[in-house]
Amino acid sequence: MGEIIVITSGKGGVGKTTATANIGAGLAMRGYKVALVDADIGLRNLDVVLGLENRIVYDLVDVAHGYCRLKQALIKDKRFDGLYLLPAAQTKDKTAVKPEQMKEICHQLSEEFDYVIIDCPAGIEQGFKNAIAGAEKAIVVTTPEVSAVRDADRVIGLLEAAELREPKLIINRLRPRMVKQGDMMNIDDILDILAVDLLGVIPEDEQIIVTTNKGEPVVQDQRSRSGEAFRNIARRILGEEVPLMDLERNGNLLTRLRKIIGLG
Amino acid sequence: MALESGANSWAAGQEEKQTILIPRTLRSGQSVFYPGNVVVIGDVNPGAQVTATGDVIVVGALRGMVHAGAGGDEGAMVVAFRLEPTQLRIANHISRPPEGMPPAKQPEVARVKNGVVTIEAYVPGERVGAGSRSAFFQKGGGPEQEEGNQSAQGGQEGLLPGKFNGGEGKEWAKSLS
Repeated sequence: MGEIIVITSGKGGVGKTTATANIGAGLAMRGYKVALVDADIGLRNLDVVLGLENRIVYDLVDVAHGYCRLKQALIKDKRFDGLYLLPAAQTKDKTAVKPEQMKEICHQLSEEFDYVIIDCPAGIEQGFKNAIAGAEKAIVVTTPEVSAVRDADRVIGLLEAAELREPKLIINRLRPRMVKQGDMMNIDDILDILAVDLLGVIPEDEQIIVTTNKGEPVVQDQRSRSGEAFRNIARRILGEEVPLMDLERNGNLLTRLRKIIGLG
Repeated sequence: MALESGANSWAAGQEEKQTILIPRTLRSGQSVFYPGNVVVIGDVNPGAQVTATGDVIVVGALRGMVHAGAGGDEGAMVVAFRLEPTQLRIANHISRPPEGMPPAKQPEVARVKNGVVTIEAYVPGERVGAGSRSAFFQKGGGPEQEEGNQSAQGGQEGLLPGKFNGGEGKEWAKSLS
């Protein structure tokens, strides 16, 4: 039986879908069988981020209603052995699936796969309730902004109420230089309020925009900082102890030179 | 003495009040209403709300909305390890922390003094309650340590003076604008 993990945030635009795609790909790169489930019915994105949009025949709603078998709806990713996607429907809405149906689908997938990762829609309404219905563990994504942290706090409360205890936190789009200048919440500020375990910190990285638009997960980019952060997160999910990477390292040439000569 | 009469009503009212223990952190969107005293073992995060007809004690950081003495009890108080609420209400007084003031890194107590919500440092072992509680303890035959403390303090209220207002405790803004 595999693990069923939901990736959620409350607030939109903090990087749930990007995190889902990259964590899934990261786990698949390490040889695990991973099923990604896009629970954002009506606003599906995960297929686009993974570059699998043009291969969708059946979707989550079709499976829930018995129009096709689960295996028919699963799309295999050609770049990563063991990575599969169960896409969301685009022409229906969140009410097209019931929590019990989600639970059943996730359960079936967990018999086949090592990891089932659910991409939760933004908000805390029906779509959120569907997405967490089948999950056993939760990862909460936030950015270093008060609004995102507030929503993450709300979501953690709701997850706890739904018996999804001890969710893990990913802080996305951190800008070390702004933190250093005191212009952005730092990691400790966020952990002080949310009081949950930190799974990883992803620095702001323009490369993510490039790779996402191309439909290639950044996790396979060996040179990018965000890719490294996602690879570390995948390893931590697998139970490895990986220290947080040095976010300062990515300074520009000048700051790096300063550091070398001892002025930084 | 005005304080003494307040003390008696506090003591009398207090006997009827029940206390509920919340052994966890209250997160955004979660709220507690209780007709009595509320003790939170954990934080009260921004966006969370605690309303009690009696006192509110937070063994953690209080960053959300808190309303003590919600039934109109002006003798109610709020105590927290970190008193940084979004808004603090006692009876029908509404206050908010002054902007730009760094939060105190120590426990504090808030209550109504001379018609104004006043925040003072809370020191463990010292009595809080502006003398009212000491009267209560004496009436109930409090432990000897209590009396020893009091004599050491010269019989005055067991409170440290506030840091910002020359021994008077800091006052929080009354208006919400």
